[in-house]
Amino acid sequence: MTHREREVAREIRRLAREDLGLEWDGADGEELAGRLDSLALLSLVVAVEDRYRVKIGEEEAATTRSLADLARLVARKAAAPAKEEAP
Amino acid sequence: MHLDAQLDAAPRVSAVGRALPKNYLDQESLIAALRGLWAKRHFNVERLEDLHRAVQVSGRHLALPLEGYAGLDTFARCNDAWIDAARELGEAALRDGLARAGLSPVDVDHLFFVTVTGIATPSIDARLANRLRMKPSLKRTPIFGLGCVAGAAGTARATDYLRAYPGEVAVVLSVELCSLTLQREDLSVPNIVASGLFGDGAAAVVLEGGARGAARAPRGPRVLATRSVFYPDTERVMGWDVVDSGFKVVLSARVPEIVREHVGGDVDGFLGEHGLARRDIRHWIAHTGGPKVLQAFEGALELPEDALARSWRSLRDVGNLSSASVLFVLGDLLDGADARAGDLGLMIAMGPGFCSEIVLLAW
Repeated sequence: MTHREREVAREIRRLAREDLGLEWDGADGEELAGRLDSLALLSLVVAVEDRYRVKIGEEEAATTRSLADLARLVARKAAAPAKEEAP
Repeated sequence: MHLDAQLDAAPRVSAVGRALPKNYLDQESLIAALRGLWAKRHFNVERLEDLHRAVQVSGRHLALPLEGYAGLDTFARCNDAWIDAARELGEAALRDGLARAGLSPVDVDHLFFVTVTGIATPSIDARLANRLRMKPSLKRTPIFGLGCVAGAAGTARATDYLRAYPGEVAVVLSVELCSLTLQREDLSVPNIVASGLFGDGAAAVVLEGGARGAARAPRGPRVLATRSVFYPDTERVMGWDVVDSGFKVVLSARVPEIVREHVGGDVDGFLGEHGLARRDIRHWIAHTGGPKVLQAFEGALELPEDALARSWRSLRDVGNLSSASVLFVLGDLLDGADARAGDLGLMIAMGPGFCSEIVLLAW
């Protein structure tokens, strides 16, 4: 993971704990679905979308297994918002 | 089967009355109405819209016209609206149930009132006792807090009562106005799921004690036995956090998981005590908790494809009506010609606690 991706992962952990009240301090490689139920996971994805002003598609979400995957995806999308979100 | 001896003495379901508010909105219109609210806080509104579509509800009846919700900005205003609407809808369901049973309000000996969507003291049952001129000796049991399980649990408690007083009539009235609990400032995913799933409605189950004879209500089933099941340490699976603005929903994704883990064993244990097995049950009356809950029921109980068709239809047509839901499904079954003498049915619902209630019916 790059420095930026590690920063995003740290912020996702903070969102989960402080904004959503989830009892979760996920390790980077940990399977998200194994630790968070589907509503909690969805809440986290929505919170991440709001925080970074990105949209995560269903297919992208399906291939995002770990916190590190999610952080990489968000870092990439947030770095190129105009290109990613253009119609 | 050793149930035969119990059959004649068991309380009977004489009728199920139902009432829905006249204000109906299809799901897309409701989504359009909520979109502006969501867009204030959420970046990806389409995701939230998809959540509303995923619950497989085509529309809901609402206690008030849409414009009536705009001014409900405090718990007191929501609850005042709830009292007015609950009285109206409760009366309609109660009158419908009694008319179907061929009874009058003065024939009712015990009125159980169940809800989880508003509070009132005197409770709604007292207000209806006045309005319908019910007898002064009417016994009233208002029950708040059982949530979605209260339709089945209320029916079970009413039959407990009728076993002690077999010459009497009991009514379980459920009024749920979920739309009046909407927390507009709570844009959490559980609240958005709940706002897409729950609708408003009322149902009244009319039950008669075993000593009142079979001739009065030949088509209604007897309630042979009931079973409550409490799941320890599951308090945060479902419920309300009571906040300044009203009832904020607590909803965990564990609900279908609990159904999958427990319901098969709970049902088998209960039926086994009566010398029965799942294959003996012809009619399944399941709470319309949502698509994942209904799928979990189907999987846990290994039901045939169309066994829960009535529950699926009710979910699609009116949404999850909390405690009234399972009673709407029971009423639908009683309206049709599917149930015949000798058939057995099982009504099952789950709710905050977390807990389930199972009711064995015999035609």
